[in-house]
Amino acid sequence: MIFTSTTARQISFLIGAFFLFAPFCRMFAQTVPVEPKIVIAPANQKVATKQNRNKVFRGSETSAEKSIVVDAKVNISLCIAEGRLKINGWERSEIRVFVGGGGEVGFKVLQKNKQNNAVWVMVTGFGAAQNREKSGEECLSGEEIELDVPRGAVVNVKGSASEMTIEAVRKVDIKIVSGDISLNNIAEGINAATYNGDVTVENSGGAMTLESANGSIVAFDAAPSEIGDIFKAKTSGGAITLQQIEYRQTEISSNTGSLKFTGEFQNGGQYDFRTVSGGILLVIPEKSSCKLNATYGFGRFNSELKLDIITENNTSKARSIVGSMGKGDANVNLTTYSGAIRIKKQ
Amino acid sequence: MTQKCYDAGMIQAFLDGELASDVTETVARHVSVCDDCAILMATAEEESAAAYSILEQEFNTLVPTQRLWTKINDSIEKEKKSFWKPIFDFLLQPQAAAFAGLLLVAVVSVGLLTVKQNVPVDLTAQNNAQEQTAIQPILNNKSLTVSPTLPSAPEVKNVPAVDYRPNPSVFRAVKIAYVQREANRTPRNQPIKNADAVNPALTETVLGEASYVKTIATLTETVNNRKDEALDSSSRFAFERDLAVTDDAIKQMRKQVRENPRDEAAKQILRSSYQNKIDLLNSVADKTELMASLR
Repeated sequence: MIFTSTTARQISFLIGAFFLFAPFCRMFAQTVPVEPKIVIAPANQKVATKQNRNKVFRGSETSAEKSIVVDAKVNISLCIAEGRLKINGWERSEIRVFVGGGGEVGFKVLQKNKQNNAVWVMVTGFGAAQNREKSGEECLSGEEIELDVPRGAVVNVKGSASEMTIEAVRKVDIKIVSGDISLNNIAEGINAATYNGDVTVENSGGAMTLESANGSIVAFDAAPSEIGDIFKAKTSGGAITLQQIEYRQTEISSNTGSLKFTGEFQNGGQYDFRTVSGGILLVIPEKSSCKLNATYGFGRFNSELKLDIITENNTSKARSIVGSMGKGDANVNLTTYSGAIRIKKQ
Repeated sequence: MTQKCYDAGMIQAFLDGELASDVTETVARHVSVCDDCAILMATAEEESAAAYSILEQEFNTLVPTQRLWTKINDSIEKEKKSFWKPIFDFLLQPQAAAFAGLLLVAVVSVGLLTVKQNVPVDLTAQNNAQEQTAIQPILNNKSLTVSPTLPSAPEVKNVPAVDYRPNPSVFRAVKIAYVQREANRTPRNQPIKNADAVNPALTETVLGEASYVKTIATLTETVNNRKDEALDSSSRFAFERDLAVTDDAIKQMRKQVRENPRDEAAKQILRSSYQNKIDLLNSVADKTELMASLR
């Protein structure tokens, strides 16, 4: 009854037949194995990983050495990916760089003075014939990296893993992720930070900011180069030891490490020692002149030297002692939460 | 006054008009001579007024929602009528019916094959619908959810608009929830990340504490986001240890200063501990910055 028209019947038959067999055709097509795609990787392809990203892998593993004439007060910037770094000041107006067991080395002059001498130089991990785009990162890498620089040079170093020894330059600014820093005979200031290592400063001058996350800080024979230079040292878990520090403004802090100061207080000086759980030890001359404010929580206070008590407050959880020695020229603040405060005779 | 005072529940029931007439009269007589109950009733009235004012916006938004759905429903009905009528007329013809039947078989076959091949189904419409249902009620009490779900198409006709005003018992529950929330009021939309950060200006124990707390909160957020990449296991251990020691010092000294606001020694230690914590957090933040600059 439905199929009243012949044409309609034929069309319906054809469409029905097509769709009746279509699923079988499709199923058959799915059984035909598809040839897998195989992508062949280049044989010499380097894989960039975090470990080798900053390294200089170009060139041979042999030594590289280069030098450049610069101004006597040149500013030098460099980045160290890996290796022991030694920087030594010399009398020449010239920078010499030696990299042993590592990659290449080069200079990039960023600024010149009127005499056409370089006053700002970047030491790079690629040679002059190369450029950064072709060579990758600019950080130096090698077993031994040595620089001879003018004594008047200002050295800026940043790096990831390195042990550094810098001697006899004018000023130093260092920030490294990991490694020890040793500085000697730095004339006009130090800004040094390592987040996993120790900092040692010896026989130096100028404003100083020394920082370590886990390591210790040791400084001895340091003095300001100008009036108003400040000495700051802070570490989270390490100890701080200071000996013969002649700054009038000194700020020392550690969270869980101990603080030790050996030497004289300067006239009119301001000294702040802060720690949470570490102890504070002052080893000072018998004739010291200072006003001392010791505040402590669960710790204790002990002095071998005579201290004229001005005020003393004791509560259940905090105590403070304000006293003076001699004329009371310097102000010394000692604060600890659970550590002990001791004053010993030098 | 010889009669015993009424509790808050009875007073509220009185205000809501839920009591029997004789009880209502008794309560009214008692309240007129009892100062305590009069104060209680005044307080309850104030709370009711406050709750009404807070919920007013919600009351107002519910009625238009119903109207809107009614309009939408009418529109859909109109569209259904106008769209399907010519199709049904066309299908009444026999040739068209045969062709449509075959076409239907074909479409179903192809559809089944498509499903077998795991062709991803577009869920956008469903997701959008779910997003629309995520309109949060003002109150936190789940039993008092106001307009939680958008009805599906067949239910559109019977969307109930919730109005608490004629229902005193529900309104009372709403009001209690409001009053409790007001009693435990904390700043809205501000998750409490640090116990020290709870409204520091009001509880400042030493001068400049708010500044310390703000700085610490900012640094803590920065460090928490990056410390996993910046600190190896040993450094992380040392950091957490130092942080715990410092936090303990801060906690103890804050407590001491609150108990004895004149304890200058405790204040000094508290300031020192705050500064130590800032230094500690700064150290990690600086390390992260240095590592990023070396990449």
